[in-house]
Amino acid sequence: MSDKSVYVQDLTRGIVRENPVFKLLLGLCPVLGVTAFFINGVGMGIAATAVLVASNVVISSLKKFIPPQVRIPCFIVVIATFVTVIDMVLEAFQPALHEALGIFVPLIVVNCVILGRAEAFAGKQPVIRSLIDGIGVGIGFTLALGILAFVREVAGHGTLMGPDPESAVYLFGPGFEPMGLFAQPPGAFIALGLLLGIFNVIFKKLNIK
Amino acid sequence: MHNIIRLSSVLVLVAMLSAALLTGLHNLTEPVIREREEREYIEALEKFFPDLDNFESETVDGESFDLVYDQEGELLGIMATVSTQGYDGTIRYNLAVDDEGIIKGIIVTSHSETPGIGDVITTSDFQEQFIGKGYDDQIQDGEDVDAVSGATESTAAMIGSIRRTVVNIGEHFLGKEVASSDIPSVEDGVYHGSAEGTRGTLTVEVEISEGRLERIEVIEQNETDAYFVESYPLIPEKIVEEQSLNVDTQTGATLSAERIIFAVENALKSTPVEEGSGGDGTVE
Repeated sequence: MSDKSVYVQDLTRGIVRENPVFKLLLGLCPVLGVTAFFINGVGMGIAATAVLVASNVVISSLKKFIPPQVRIPCFIVVIATFVTVIDMVLEAFQPALHEALGIFVPLIVVNCVILGRAEAFAGKQPVIRSLIDGIGVGIGFTLALGILAFVREVAGHGTLMGPDPESAVYLFGPGFEPMGLFAQPPGAFIALGLLLGIFNVIFKKLNIK
Repeated sequence: MHNIIRLSSVLVLVAMLSAALLTGLHNLTEPVIREREEREYIEALEKFFPDLDNFESETVDGESFDLVYDQEGELLGIMATVSTQGYDGTIRYNLAVDDEGIIKGIIVTSHSETPGIGDVITTSDFQEQFIGKGYDDQIQDGEDVDAVSGATESTAAMIGSIRRTVVNIGEHFLGKEVASSDIPSVEDGVYHGSAEGTRGTLTVEVEISEGRLERIEVIEQNETDAYFVESYPLIPEKIVEEQSLNVDTQTGATLSAERIIFAVENALKSTPVEEGSGGDGTVE
């Protein structure tokens, strides 16, 4: 296999074949928690992707330096550092998003997608491949959150690009009464379950295992 | 032994690098965050007080009040920063009143009420009914303002909290008379009054003797709410102790308190079920 095809595989694996949400069902806490609005879902996805890419690169470049006995605490410190960085940067420059994501930003630390990639990939593979892997899994995670949040926002609020009333587009006019259930936590489970079913059918049709 | 030292030094090094990076970034972002928070607050102040020149903060009972002045040093009004217990966690809001204590507006800054139900407290429809009300108004559900059906807990909590805040502002800053007792003066005797609970009627028996509130007993209630059952004996005790219906109800059972207070108010408006004996004060 040429270098190039390895990189392409590293990139696409996280998006479809090992999509962290729709295939592996990892990191579901933010998936269910922040997907009431599309912007929040995608914002969460991007924040997690930034942490994932940064921690993958750092962990991969430190892998010779970190003894295997203490790798997990080191990984967690690296991940927690980047999460705190993201948390502070968001609070300073994206206050509305920071407010909407709330506790779920600090909770990226315990997102098993990120520690999982550190342990399973970045801790063993070279820096470039870890970077590409991080981007791929990050895109997969962001896509999954985006799709779920889109469904929940349209069904649960009848809007797009909310919750800020200035940017919100009301899809069904002012008299529309949305299905409030989808805006609430139980609705997140139901929407996720429906999407999982749909994607399983699609993956089966396309013969993606 | 050698190994332990190596392992710990790696951990220490990683942790130190992390701490150094975060400290540096914190110093960069902190002023930005603080400046933005201040700017947002001042913008909110300017919305209500366009002639704002400066303000000074005072803290009363753990809540902060900003007294807003214009260029000549005249008091324009007061902005209170208040938190109260809603249906699902703490509601924080700013309440702006003018120099007469009349409500100019409300901004809910944070809450975790149910989306689509309890979050009506953030809507202008709900908030506008308070505008123009002040110290001399009742600000009482069903009287001059209305709770929103389906979101009674969230809205009743707001109504109660706004009333307390307006009274606080009036008494502390605007020289309204601090009522030593806001118990209406009624004839001695035993009174019964009721209020709607969540599950039927809540009835209290109130005994007035020599102009003092002597005893309050909840004689009928069908509440099943755990908070209520736990806390309702405390509220009558407090009212009797303080000889005031304006008792602090921030105990996580605001609603129970409101219902009991309302029932007591109703009792004092009614005709006594027993005339006071005027003697030993024991009326049973």
